[in-house]
Amino acid sequence: MKRVSSASLRAASMKRISSEPRRAASMTALPRRRFLLGLGALAGAGALAACSNEAPAGAPPAEAPPAPPATTTAAAPTYTGEAALVALGAAVSALAGELLGEAASGAGQGRYGAVPGAVAAYLSGAAAQHVAHAEAWNRLLTVAGRPAVDGAPLTVEPALRGRLDAARAPVDLLGLAADLTGTVTATVTAITGQVTEASAVALAAGVGPVAAMHGASADFLLGRPPTAPDDPTAGALGPDALTV
Amino acid sequence: MTAPAPADVPILQTASSLVVLAADTYSSLQALAFGGGPSAPAPLRDLLAAALDELARARTDLATATRQAGGRAQTNADPRYAPVVEQALPTVRGPGDVVGLALTLEDVLAQTLVSDVVDLSAPEVRQTVAGHAAAAARRKALLLTFQSLLSTGRAELVASPPDLAALPPAAGTVGFPDVLFPTEKASPATEGAVR
Repeated sequence: MKRVSSASLRAASMKRISSEPRRAASMTALPRRRFLLGLGALAGAGALAACSNEAPAGAPPAEAPPAPPATTTAAAPTYTGEAALVALGAAVSALAGELLGEAASGAGQGRYGAVPGAVAAYLSGAAAQHVAHAEAWNRLLTVAGRPAVDGAPLTVEPALRGRLDAARAPVDLLGLAADLTGTVTATVTAITGQVTEASAVALAAGVGPVAAMHGASADFLLGRPPTAPDDPTAGALGPDALTV
Repeated sequence: MTAPAPADVPILQTASSLVVLAADTYSSLQALAFGGGPSAPAPLRDLLAAALDELARARTDLATATRQAGGRAQTNADPRYAPVVEQALPTVRGPGDVVGLALTLEDVLAQTLVSDVVDLSAPEVRQTVAGHAAAAARRKALLLTFQSLLSTGRAELVASPPDLAALPPAAGTVGFPDVLFPTEKASPATEGAVR
């Protein structure tokens, strides 16, 4: 009986979707196109994820050329206006993808002791989706004629990487993941209310809830209460967090 | 600040109707011994309590936005799903049924809110709705995880904190099955509009 009841609810949903357009035709076309654009940008997510787990570069060799002389003229930011918000989305997703991917790699190498299979799967699975999100954000930039964001140029990157470097046990990785995905969720939720370009709104709408699911999964594994934040944008990064 | 437009009214009313139905359903499930009572798994009990708080905030925010857009706040449950829930509730026999019913409603609610973010005209309201979509997605993730663990026949795995070593690897990823949150189950804007 229980399965029939749940199934009937789902069937009602599916039937309605197939028989009744969500909006008037002229209004449905746009959202669908927007989501298709975002989905198209996610092609090859697995391969991208595999490329994201590189260890951070080490210190430069002794014979490295000296740094260029300091200048008193500040360089113009690479991204301004709405592009800066899209770049922020790319950077924060890339940061989560990089750090969680490195955590997964380190777990596979025994760096954090015995890592339960559920934790290892979480880290690699969430990392792959964040990398795919970064690629989708970057696709929006390149389609608009802007350069893709290279890596995760964010002011918060050194501190968060420091937390990963200091991690010693699976619970440290999960704590970092919970905080990091919370930052991604808050940032993308804030972006949703700041961008106006249709494809950016649609991508933010589809990415934010997935990042929230990463956070909820990490919280469960940690045994934390299942409460969503009262302020969904608390802790969000702004464009001023970009270092490019 | 951009005020919501009149065209946003049915969108917000339909979202409200799903929130009302979800809250009513959670209240019913919470009253069950294996939902919010002593024989329920602690994480499920906690989720039901948290969901009611979050849905109350959603209801208030959506009602405010509806009035700002010039409409009347929807206080009734979604007319399409309410009869189905009414029929399903007496068949709920254990935690797995609680999770199954809640999951179905949360999925429709979350997908509707995500779709609404794209369609709403006012940026501030888009952000508010996006926040509630994220909250619904969090609940969906947890319900997917609980459902997966309960389906193994080992209800003790749904614990707080869980025994990480005993969890199947899939428990780490079952909560986020999609790279982008889907919207194919989103309710049409007219479904819960005040008539």
